Amino acid sequence: MANKYVVIGGSAGSFQTVLKLLEELPKNYPYPVFLVLHRLKNVRSGFIEALSIKSKLKLIEPADKDPIEAGKVYLAPANYHMYIQFDNTFSLSTEETINHSRPAIDITFSSLAFSYTNKVVGVLLSGANKDGSLGLKDISTNGGITVVQDPNEAQIQTMPQAALDIIDVDKILSAEEIINFVTKLHLRYD
Amino acid sequence: MLSEDQINEIIKAIKDVSGYDFSEYSPRSFQRRIDKIIEDYRFDYKSLLKKIEKKEPEFYEKLVADITVNTTELFRNPPVWHSVKYRILPKLMENEKVDIWHAGCSTGQEVYSMIILLNELGMLDRVNIYASDLNTTALAQAEKGKYIYRFNIEYLQNFDEVIRKNPYNFEEYNDVPYSKYFDIDQVKDKILIKDFLRNKAIFKKHDIVKRENIFHKKFDLIMCRNVLIYFNLSLQSKVLNFFYDNLKFPGYLVLGYHESILGNEAIKFHKKHYYYTKKLI
Repeated sequence: MANKYVVIGGSAGSFQTVLKLLEELPKNYPYPVFLVLHRLKNVRSGFIEALSIKSKLKLIEPADKDPIEAGKVYLAPANYHMYIQFDNTFSLSTEETINHSRPAIDITFSSLAFSYTNKVVGVLLSGANKDGSLGLKDISTNGGITVVQDPNEAQIQTMPQAALDIIDVDKILSAEEIINFVTKLHLRYD
Repeated sequence: MLSEDQINEIIKAIKDVSGYDFSEYSPRSFQRRIDKIIEDYRFDYKSLLKKIEKKEPEFYEKLVADITVNTTELFRNPPVWHSVKYRILPKLMENEKVDIWHAGCSTGQEVYSMIILLNELGMLDRVNIYASDLNTTALAQAEKGKYIYRFNIEYLQNFDEVIRKNPYNFEEYNDVPYSKYFDIDQVKDKILIKDFLRNKAIFKKHDIVKRENIFHKKFDLIMCRNVLIYFNLSLQSKVLNFFYDNLKFPGYLVLGYHESILGNEAIKFHKKHYYYTKKLI
């Protein structure tokens, strides 16, 4: 079991931030990282390759019931919701879209919040809909750390603003500060 | 959100009145389904439990249908269908009879995808197609083969990928018209599968959790896509064993795009491209 579960949700305007973050994440990063990114429905291939180019960590689109390992980056697969279960495995689902999204950020955030409570670090980036705020609220309620990109700095502020409207988050940071915070998380908490 | 104990009470109540057993479903997604049902039905935990305990088949059948997920598409994930078209079906072409089972067929789009492909390959006469699902409403729609056009239009692109194009030869293009297989009425927003396709499959209600072979056949090919993801690892193993026992040899198994065979059953199947073959052990 990992000490922390880092989960990042992003939609329109978040791709460059995620790309930069993956470039900066150190090789021996001690936590698993989960990415839930909205993408076009029929873009099924090429996305993970684009994200992988500069990443030092291995990027994986998990299969159902795959075990979770520290130091790996898991990308929610296109057209599936990604749940994290408390036996340290993934559980995928093709149920209805939420906020027109599958994967939905809310589902991964909430399931992590209930499975790993105060070990969860949830980060919500730029985006054009309201996905993620309910899930981030669950992370907050269950004792995890919540980080939201500063809406004034985000390319599209709808998604981070929606979270700030309903949660008293731990940190409001710029994209650069978020990258810095996530990549140095282990120096701060372990 | 309901607690784990409350969820377990609901699972027990459903099993007692209806025989449906959800105790080995994936806990997180099951919990979310129940939360959604409570919200949609405007119930709370107690009123839901009470309603279940009234033992009204009409209610619990609807409940079970709503718990289960019915997402399906025509030719979902074209690369998987390329495997079916270029790697699996050609090996079955020599057989006098071919038996295919769609386990968990939902509203039937996948069944019709298979029938269309078999027809294009000139194999349809020699193939028996069986399809089953737990959800009687979905099954009824599958039998009718009638869908909402705007929900299915984007999947015609999948049709192009699988039926018209050849991924191994970009110059090949078979201009098969949609009207060969579908009656499309854009004004009424309907897409109807042609008669000659609709009479082909045998649809039957079946709960895969019970692991009974209701068709009393062994199968050359079992299609079971995005069904096992709702089960925990232990139930997945039992169902995969059941598939193993009910496949002929050689026999083929196609799962969902992000499903794989883990645990003890892994040694019973070979993974190739997007499908599995039965191993002799």
